[in-house]
Amino acid sequence: MSTVVQYILSGLAIGGIYALVALGFHIMWSSAKAVNFAHGDTLMIGGLLAVYFLAAGLPLALACLLAILVGGLFGVVLERIAVRPFLGQHGSVGWMLTTIAIGIMVESVATIQTQGYALPLPSPGIASSIQILGAGVYPQELAIPVVALIAMFGLRLLQHHTLIGRAMRAVAHNGAAASLMGINVFRVVAFSFALAGLLGAAAGVLVAPVVQASSTMGVLPGLKGFAVAIIGGITSAPGVVVAGLAYGVMEKFVEGYISSAAREIVGFSVMILTLLVFPQGLFGKREVMKV
Amino acid sequence: MRHLTTIGFLALAVILVAVPLASNNEYELRLFMLFLIYGIIAVGLNVLVGLTGLVSLGQAGLFALGSYTGAILATRLGFDMVSSALVAAIVAGFFGVLLAYPTVRVRGVYLAVVTIAFGLIVENVAIEWQSMTGGTTGITSIPSPNVFGFRLSGYAYYGLLAVVLFLAAAAAHNLKISRFGRAMLAVSQSETAARALGVDATGVRTLAFVAAAVTAGLAGTFYAFLNSYISPDIFTFSDSVRFLLMVILGGAASTFGPILGAYILTYLPEYLQQFAVWQKFAYGALLLIVMFVMPRGIMGSLAFGLKKLRPAPRAVSATEGILAEDTLRRDPNALRSELVARDLTVRFGGLTALNKASLRVKPGEVHALIGPNGAGKSTFVNTISGFYRPTEGEFEIDGVQLAGRKSHEIARLGLSRTFQNTELFGELTVLENVMVGYQQGLGYGLAAALLRTPAMRRQEEECRRAAIGLLAFVDLQDYANEEARFLPFGLQRRLEIARALAARPRLLLLDEPAAGLTTQEIDALEEMIRRIAALGVSVLLIEHHVELIMAVADTVTVLDYGQIIASDTPAVVQDDPRVIEAYFGTSLEHADAAEATP
Repeated sequence: MSTVVQYILSGLAIGGIYALVALGFHIMWSSAKAVNFAHGDTLMIGGLLAVYFLAAGLPLALACLLAILVGGLFGVVLERIAVRPFLGQHGSVGWMLTTIAIGIMVESVATIQTQGYALPLPSPGIASSIQILGAGVYPQELAIPVVALIAMFGLRLLQHHTLIGRAMRAVAHNGAAASLMGINVFRVVAFSFALAGLLGAAAGVLVAPVVQASSTMGVLPGLKGFAVAIIGGITSAPGVVVAGLAYGVMEKFVEGYISSAAREIVGFSVMILTLLVFPQGLFGKREVMKV
Repeated sequence: MRHLTTIGFLALAVILVAVPLASNNEYELRLFMLFLIYGIIAVGLNVLVGLTGLVSLGQAGLFALGSYTGAILATRLGFDMVSSALVAAIVAGFFGVLLAYPTVRVRGVYLAVVTIAFGLIVENVAIEWQSMTGGTTGITSIPSPNVFGFRLSGYAYYGLLAVVLFLAAAAAHNLKISRFGRAMLAVSQSETAARALGVDATGVRTLAFVAAAVTAGLAGTFYAFLNSYISPDIFTFSDSVRFLLMVILGGAASTFGPILGAYILTYLPEYLQQFAVWQKFAYGALLLIVMFVMPRGIMGSLAFGLKKLRPAPRAVSATEGILAEDTLRRDPNALRSELVARDLTVRFGGLTALNKASLRVKPGEVHALIGPNGAGKSTFVNTISGFYRPTEGEFEIDGVQLAGRKSHEIARLGLSRTFQNTELFGELTVLENVMVGYQQGLGYGLAAALLRTPAMRRQEEECRRAAIGLLAFVDLQDYANEEARFLPFGLQRRLEIARALAARPRLLLLDEPAAGLTTQEIDALEEMIRRIAALGVSVLLIEHHVELIMAVADTVTVLDYGQIIASDTPAVVQDDPRVIEAYFGTSLEHADAAEATP
């Protein structure tokens, strides 16, 4: 019993990270029909910078906040230099390769900076673990899925009650028509990438105390976040969040009962099977091909 | 261009022969052999990236899969290198289908993610399945290269690799200039148009990925035998990026670019070693620089420059072509085609765009479908061409049920269409656009394409001549070698008609062909429609331009709010009070009455 609870709780924690990353992919895809393939590195930027800012003498809260803001800035800059120049082109090879290229560069700088070491980020959330039905978890871990859910509902509020949010929905629905209505589509896209960057960096700051910050900490969550977006349906925000949490829990069970290598094998196989049976993802809606 | 390709292959052959003679020592030769193996991967990957416009970031995974399969077969079952390599290629190809098919029918972008994931799966299986793969220590004691029990010397193995690379490059080139390569290019430039011409986009993309997988699997086994030792950490994500960079740097879609790219990136690490920790950064930077400064890659940029200096003649002589009348004419005794739609209903959520619309295009007639904006015309067209699924109702052509079929299947059954907003393959030439339309008339298979058999050449030549004839039919022969995107709008519309005709349709569906045309162009269009109908092709014309409709249509059907409100000869429809009401609103008396009672 306590093992099962343990797996569920730790699964929800890592799943919350996937959900936050996937939410970013959802936001970027909706507005631009393009994503940042280096989105996993946003996580790493958030986690590592929080450590460095803290080391520079900033208070923890400020260090984390600043790190998250830099993540948002990274999203904006990357959109401007690597995505926008290729948006008008056929296919997706252009922005895919440029964002991957920048991801490689950022990651290698981080590796050189940290010399490959993982750095701890202290947090009151990991000061002591609490017992729930015989399972031990850090409060930090419990907070992660809660933050993911708050982000999801926050996004909904934003999209329904603010001008920029409504503009995002309009652009997602039909960019050309939105542009004719006087919406600055480029600004909306930039805003979306910034928002995705903020969420990604926040995920990094949240997970760093649990797993330690390192130059490669974003690689797997970035990839799994995309896998989760595919499973949940990249057009649906609640879909990707629910899929993210479920994916995390599934991972912990496979890891616990089989092995950690089986974790990746099963996880990614689930993604491919989902694509086969539900091409639009579990909760995604079919994009009608405009002819 | 054709001569340049021949010269290129000759030069490649000379280099491949000269290198072992010039190499000073074993190490140099070995490095060159590594380049040959990378070259094989890059040539295959180019089919995916260059022709189909998709990205794989898991080539290292497929390479590893091939390596392990080959090594296990050789060490455990005593297979020789050639049979190991063949089995490895088949296994990799099988996984290629498994990965690509579910993925590319949704979004091409997903392929990149799925392939990265696959790379990780392979790595983890290699680590985990210790009894088979040796876990993290890998597989040692792979025998030296052998064929049918004969041990190959270093030079003989070199020769084998050189021949394989040469053949792979030739096969990839042949594929590019065949119907398969054209279909890949077409799908990457406009999936919609390709499907409307009967091209199975999912099938084509899967084929491209399988080509990339098979070559990676083959190269993997060669690598295992060259290295005689493999372990999971040899095949990393960075290698996948490097393979991709080979294609992009050398020139995606070019014949020799990937080989050049493979050469540069095999030898570059030798120089990059001085950058030590910055090596990875350098790869990223190089990729970024290429994307911005030289997106066509080295060979692509050279070819582009050459084309600027010595442009190919724009026109082709119409006398080379087969008369369009001969291509299109249907047997006068055969039944002319009839399209029947019964009670078609299409709903988008709560909106009923089409409400129990029934329509019959009689054999051989020009049937016009008109209606005010928003009446459901486009929905009707997109439904009967298979892009939307009808919520209810059915439609058939010559008794063959079409509802529920995919767009490319409907196209193959003889329904061809043009698009309201033209959907050309912008970077293909005008002639190639029409040749894609002719695609279904080409029967040769994949093997014939790779080998360029005489039958394949004959069919291709016939396709070219038929395409020229169709260009002459719409008076575009003077633009044959121009890229389609550079054509003025009016000519683009005509090209779409020629391309749709090349599919030799039973029914041609023209979606607002007169929109945006000048008066003279509309006159020419009118005459063209008459000529098409005279050949026995039924025409369904969706149009706003009343004069054109009155001049060419045998029957006019009027749609309003998703319902058919009239269907008769133009003269009758013109005077139908319901039609007048739909277009001009209620009659004057009603309007007065409405104003009088506020």
